[in-house]
Amino acid sequence: MLPGAALKGLVLCAELALVVLPLIVGYEMAKAYGVFERPWKRLRPALAVIGLGPGGLVPLLAGVFLGLLYGAGILVSVSREEGLADSERLALAVFLVTCHAVVEDTALFVILGGSAFWILAPRLVMALGLTAWLARRGRRRL
Amino acid sequence: MSAEHTASAPAGPLWRLALGRSLGRSRKFLWFLLINILPLYVASDLLVTSGALAKISGFLEPVMSLWGLPPEAAAVLLAGMLVNLYAATAVAAPLALSWQQVSVLGLILGIAHSLIMEAVVVRQLTRRYHALTLLRIVLGLGAGWLLALVLC
Repeated sequence: MLPGAALKGLVLCAELALVVLPLIVGYEMAKAYGVFERPWKRLRPALAVIGLGPGGLVPLLAGVFLGLLYGAGILVSVSREEGLADSERLALAVFLVTCHAVVEDTALFVILGGSAFWILAPRLVMALGLTAWLARRGRRRL
Repeated sequence: MSAEHTASAPAGPLWRLALGRSLGRSRKFLWFLLINILPLYVASDLLVTSGALAKISGFLEPVMSLWGLPPEAAAVLLAGMLVNLYAATAVAAPLALSWQQVSVLGLILGIAHSLIMEAVVVRQLTRRYHALTLLRIVLGLGAGWLLALVLC
């Protein structure tokens, strides 16, 4: 019983490593080359819809792709440097608590056999919907 | 944008720096898997195959059936919300869940995981981190319930 469980556990660990190790390399490369810090101008109108100014893009990308813990360095320091307004910080927080680390989180459950679409799409829709609704409500509080 | 997020020391090409950092992180991650996730998986597997987990969690059946999940999946939710998604994966793997059930768990926990650790980060962004943590739990469970209605 125990050796069998340990063997199956090792298989799970190997699967997790196979998925996550390439992600770690990819994230570090993207971070080193400043992919998350590029001021993609075309995204500005979309950012405005969810209540973020241009300064909100970098922390948003860091959170969505790197996650709250891994991306925390960029997330927090950039939102300070850019002097994000309180409403922008709230929009960022609401979006990210609903939807962050999209690649890694989704991959973990896909390994177990889950559907990537049903795990990810509802999170994205909810994050966009909630922040767009907040932005429309203007500066009134949550 | 400041350079501190990209390369802190100009000791070679960027890709080499990034690769060095990846190696460090990868080694830590592998240790994390072997020291935390493997024992957790073994414990979960023993609890599942011995029937102990089913016995302990049996009373949760009416609640968990709202999400189309077996009562044992409550342990997955606890592990994910309080520890992290890797812990949830280790606890869930021995349960032999259907893809629909895994998707429901993935959606709930995708939204509401590592609640304590991540509240510390959210706190840096807004003082309303308590409300946001509550929002995650409500949204996660709500979305999971809807997904269970759609899939199961």
